[in-house]
Amino acid sequence: MMRQRKTMALWGITLLTSLWAVAANANIFWIFDPKGVMAETNLHYLIIDVLIMGGIVGITTLLTIWFMWKYHKGKNRGAYDPHWSHSNVLEVVVWGIPIIAVGFLSYFAYKGTFEVNPYNPTVITKHMDPKGDPVEVDVIATDWQWLFVYPQYHMAVANELVLPVNTPAFFRLTSSDVTTTFFVPQLVGMIDVMPGMRTKNALLSHNIGTYQGYASDYCGAGTSWMRFETRIVSKEDFKNWVARVKSSPNTMTYASFDRFAKPYINVHQRVVYYSHVQDGLFDHLMMEVMNGKTWPVPPAMTENMVAYLQKQAAEHRD
Amino acid sequence: MSAHSSTDPKTAVLWDTHDHGHDVISTRTFGFFLYLLSDGMIFATLFAAYGVLSYSHSYAAGPTPASFVHPWYTFLQTVALFLSVLAYGMGMGGLKRGSKSGLLSGLLAAFVLGVVFLGLDIHDMMDLADHGITIMTSGGTSAFIFLTQTHAAHIFFGLVWIAVMILQVMIQGFTTDTVGRLLSLRMFWHMQAIIWVFVYIFVYLWGYMS
Amino acid sequence: MLVPLAGGWNPLLGRLALDQIPYNNPILAPLFVVVALGALALIALITYYHKWGYLWKEWLTTVDHKKLGVMYIIIGLVMLFRGFVDGLMIRTQQVWANGPDSSGVFGAVHGYLTPFHFGQVYSAHGLIMILLAATPLLVGFMNIIVPIQVGARDMAYPYLNALGLWITAAGAALIMASLFIGDFSHNGWFGYAPLFEIQYSPGVGVDYWIWTLELLALGTSLGGINIIATIVKMRAPGMSWFKLPIFTWASLSANIIALTSFPALQLALALVASDRYLGSHFFTAGLGGNLMLYTNLFWIWGHPEVYFVILPAFGMMSEIFPVFSEKPLFGYITMVAASFAIAGVSWLVWLHHFFTMGAGPEVNSFFSIATMLVGIPTGVKVFNWAFTMYRGRLTFSAAMLWAIGALFLLLVGGLTGMMLAIPAINYMVHNSVFVVAHFHSMLLVIVYAVFGSVIFWFPKVFGFKLDEYWAKVMFWLFSAGTVGVFVPMYMLGFMGETRRLDYVFNTAWHPYLVAEEIGIFLYCLSVVAFFVLLYVSIRDRVKNQVGQDAWGTSRSLEWLTHSPVPFYNFAVIPHINERDEVAWRRQHGLVQKQPEKYLDIHMPNNTGMALYIGALTFVLAFALTWRIWWLCLGSLVAIIALMIVRSFQGDAGYIIPAAEVERMEKEALAREARIQTGAHPLPAGGRPVPGEAIAYERQDKL
Ligand code: HEA
Ligand code: HEA
Ligand code: CUA
Ligand SMILES: [Cu+2]
Repeated sequence: MMRQRKTMALWGITLLTSLWAVAANANIFWIFDPKGVMAETNLHYLIIDVLIMGGIVGITTLLTIWFMWKYHKGKNRGAYDPHWSHSNVLEVVVWGIPIIAVGFLSYFAYKGTFEVNPYNPTVITKHMDPKGDPVEVDVIATDWQWLFVYPQYHMAVANELVLPVNTPAFFRLTSSDVTTTFFVPQLVGMIDVMPGMRTKNALLSHNIGTYQGYASDYCGAGTSWMRFETRIVSKEDFKNWVARVKSSPNTMTYASFDRFAKPYINVHQRVVYYSHVQDGLFDHLMMEVMNGKTWPVPPAMTENMVAYLQKQAAEHRD
Repeated sequence: MSAHSSTDPKTAVLWDTHDHGHDVISTRTFGFFLYLLSDGMIFATLFAAYGVLSYSHSYAAGPTPASFVHPWYTFLQTVALFLSVLAYGMGMGGLKRGSKSGLLSGLLAAFVLGVVFLGLDIHDMMDLADHGITIMTSGGTSAFIFLTQTHAAHIFFGLVWIAVMILQVMIQGFTTDTVGRLLSLRMFWHMQAIIWVFVYIFVYLWGYMS
Repeated sequence: MLVPLAGGWNPLLGRLALDQIPYNNPILAPLFVVVALGALALIALITYYHKWGYLWKEWLTTVDHKKLGVMYIIIGLVMLFRGFVDGLMIRTQQVWANGPDSSGVFGAVHGYLTPFHFGQVYSAHGLIMILLAATPLLVGFMNIIVPIQVGARDMAYPYLNALGLWITAAGAALIMASLFIGDFSHNGWFGYAPLFEIQYSPGVGVDYWIWTLELLALGTSLGGINIIATIVKMRAPGMSWFKLPIFTWASLSANIIALTSFPALQLALALVASDRYLGSHFFTAGLGGNLMLYTNLFWIWGHPEVYFVILPAFGMMSEIFPVFSEKPLFGYITMVAASFAIAGVSWLVWLHHFFTMGAGPEVNSFFSIATMLVGIPTGVKVFNWAFTMYRGRLTFSAAMLWAIGALFLLLVGGLTGMMLAIPAINYMVHNSVFVVAHFHSMLLVIVYAVFGSVIFWFPKVFGFKLDEYWAKVMFWLFSAGTVGVFVPMYMLGFMGETRRLDYVFNTAWHPYLVAEEIGIFLYCLSVVAFFVLLYVSIRDRVKNQVGQDAWGTSRSLEWLTHSPVPFYNFAVIPHINERDEVAWRRQHGLVQKQPEKYLDIHMPNNTGMALYIGALTFVLAFALTWRIWWLCLGSLVAIIALMIVRSFQGDAGYIIPAAEVERMEKEALAREARIQTGAHPLPAGGRPVPGEAIAYERQDKL
């Protein structure tokens, strides 16, 4: 038995160290590498929680292992007391420690929830640069693409989100037919995107760079490809980018949105610019959905995806 | 609180010297009570769902209860159901006296009144359908119809059960089995009346007034 | 009244048509052949050995709680295996379909499963594991152990017990049918509104999901009623509440949760069905529907459900630790209090499954704090187990190893659960594989406790012990698999990998996916070890026979009767004096003291009725799934008719005369004595084999 345990331990250690070696090479732990104020705050609470809980759980683990070692039958390391099954002091300790710990955690949970409240995140409003006007973005999720409408600029972009650095961005989100979740791990936590409903989120980043965003909740066949790069660019670059979008020949009206919202699996990560968007698209969509409009998923998708994609390419928009 | 005994091992009784069987009827009615508890939870959840789906936007610009419920009509149903429960209770008085005919006439009356209740309900539903109010109309009407008809389905199965009990008592008389079932059925029938009170208040009265 | 359908429908077969049978699917068709051949082989074997009569009389029509429990456990193990194969398929798809350059076969762009097929695999995996593996395994143990622990002859309602089993079996059959006839749901085990509405999920998959869950909810509720009533009404004389064995307490608290929470699930699914069949608007986005209502209703059940499955597992651990520490359980009263505290708080936390839905910070922090409160009683349990070992004499037998493994997993799962419970953290890891790793840590606590219990109680049910060596080999292989799969999964969670990806876009994650695949391989080896374990143990069954107290240090009442337990449990109902009655009797040399006088025993008769009704519920659910209306009506009427017939028949049971009881007892005691002296009472290869040892020829009817 002993030998077997050792081989197992060896296996485990090799596995863990090799994993760690890979991890050390590239910083791919997105959650530990936040580049936005919201994500940073979240990480801050993660560390607090792990310190408190890890302390207790770690001590409990060590204690248990120690008992296992000490009271191993036949080793005679500790005294055997066949009747000991109650102690008032320990009773107080076993209830007391978790109660105190949960007390602390509750305080942080409460505080943190307000700080990163997606509807009114105090970490962002507090940091708000009085001169940097916030950018507003209306996010519309379809099956299975993202449409980012910039109402201040009357323009829209599909499947790419570009924001100026050091400037708060405020999102309103809705979906054309099913529920999914909006997520950019290094910048901001998740918020659900639901049809016929509006949720909000906010983001502020001081770090220029490109970050991965995606649909983080299952919403049908195209979920895995429903991604958008999120680029935080300098204010200068943002202006240029707006100009680029503005020069695109595509526009988005209520009618063309109806076409856009038809189920489409974005395997090639297509990005489209729309130089002009009909005003009120977001509210119009919400009203339509509330009045029963849907964009049904064709049954053909269930069987053979390669065939469906061919069909999609043949009859559709790329 | 250790394993040190408080019982003296020398005199302790180790085996049950006489087989005192369990009280079959009380065990069964207890189990049935537990079932009713879970059934009550179904209704509680259903009422919650109804509450969520009774905001004005839940009716999606369609008709709201204020325009289609008729508390007076439904009051007839209330009367029928309450009389049915009363009749059942009087029948159970017959059981106490050991009078088979007393019980049977009570059950029969309860059955007939239950049928009246159900008939009124079905008529009401058909009437609503004629006015274009069905389960498909809106979230609000879905909740309205599902809630009332879940209750009606309970009444229907209760009626089947009453019919079975009438036959059973006629054939088998008062046995442990039949008496236990009569007691469970009484609980069931009362429970439906209680739930109906909630339906009447929350769906019909409240719906009419809002 | 009915919703128009996208595909075809005809009055005779409903939506069922030949093209719904995936005979050309490269994965399912061969699998079907394998399953069909296996079934044929089984049938041939039973026929060859003339075992149909035995099977029918002793198992299919039985109302004996131990046999029903054994059948529950068999269903659970087979389904655990099916769930494992699903897990293997998930992992293989993800390690393969990684990065834009990965290849694809069988109509998939990457990997070997199309998104819809992949969705079906994990949805079926989740549902099967929780409701058809964990739940039947636990209910099976409650069935076997609880009546004996409270000193009863059987459950309060033996016939209802059989009905619960067969309805559960019908649920298992339905989800297995979805493999080969039509599709299963791809909406995850908990379903998404409005994705499961007919516009977005036009096939029959969601309908299979609805009716499978409805059947399982019904079966489990019936079981719950039975167990609660047994504990409340059937306790032996002298067994006051605080002498109740701890596993029985755990079962009671768990089943109270089940009884009060399953209705929410039943209702939620009925409303989904109403949307899909009748065209109502409960959970649609438009026309007044409210899709968030579904999510709330589901988790009002879903969260209590996870405590419904963990509490009995805690009970099992609380039985195993004392026996192999040779000490009473530390803090019995607090253990009981903690179980009920967990059960109580479990009602107030459901919203933590959707913190990201955008509720206000007040609401989110309320549910966050409520969630964390559960950590307090759970922590008390962990500490009490640790103090049970303190000053004990620990034997690291296989059962104990599984229990200790469960304890450590609980710590890991608890640590990560407490992270998820804080909204600020949850926003970052919700819907990620970090959550998946959290709940597998927790749910594997159940699997560990169950394997511990299989080893622990096996001798009680079958009269011989399982092989310790192979049980330990299996434990280490399984644990290595757990580390291999779930440690990398936690890391991937911190890298931002979300769950349910049929295509994993980031190639940087590849090494971790490979590590998980190695873990899966180790799991495969552990399954092999399990079969070797069974083979070796059954081969050596005569050598490994045990007397009533299989471990020599046992404590609760089930160890007072023979192993295997006679079908009447106790020849004479014991009178309870102390909390750990058997430990107390052993301590005072009273274990061998037999009753002086035997009495007649009254037992219930077997009946095929439960099996028939169970089979009909399958037909009903199948007909509903495929919308074969005439069959729905027919089977519903048949079910009600059978129930009425049964109510007219009743069951008077039958009597075993006192003299006969005495004869059987003497025989069992003589056998026990021979085991003690080491004289093998039976020729090698002879009896007992599982099940036969408790067979009894009964004279029918009273
Ligand atoms: C009790 C519940 C339970 C259990 C035990 C497991 C066990 C396992 N699960 Fe599962 N899992 C879920 C419940 C469970 N799971 C749920 C609810 C989901 C979410 C689904 C969803 O998203 O909707 C999920 C999702 C899920 C995913 C996530 C997919 C995704 O979202 O990306 C993965 C991926 O790796 C996975 C893998 C595994 C693995 C490898 C095991 C292993 O631990 C399995 C180990 C088991 C064995 C090794 C079998 C041993 C069996 C025997 C020895 C018996 C043999 C006997 C006979 C045949 C008689 N599971
Ligand atoms: C048996 C199953 C089981 C159990 C017991 C638990 C226990 C807990 N779970 Fe888990 N959970 C699941 C099964 C389970 N969970 C499943 C299946 C899902 C997801 C389903 C899906 O989405 O598909 C889920 C998801 C889930 C979420 C939602 C995640 C998300 O989707 O974003 C959350 C969030 O709060 C959570 C929290 C907790 C907490 C706080 C506990 C606590 O009960 C843990 C308590 C234990 C401890 C805390 C450790 C021991 C204590 C000590 C050592 C003392 C010290 C303690 C303190 C100081 C507090 N769980
Ligand atoms: Cu939650 Cu809309
Ligand atoms: Cu939960």
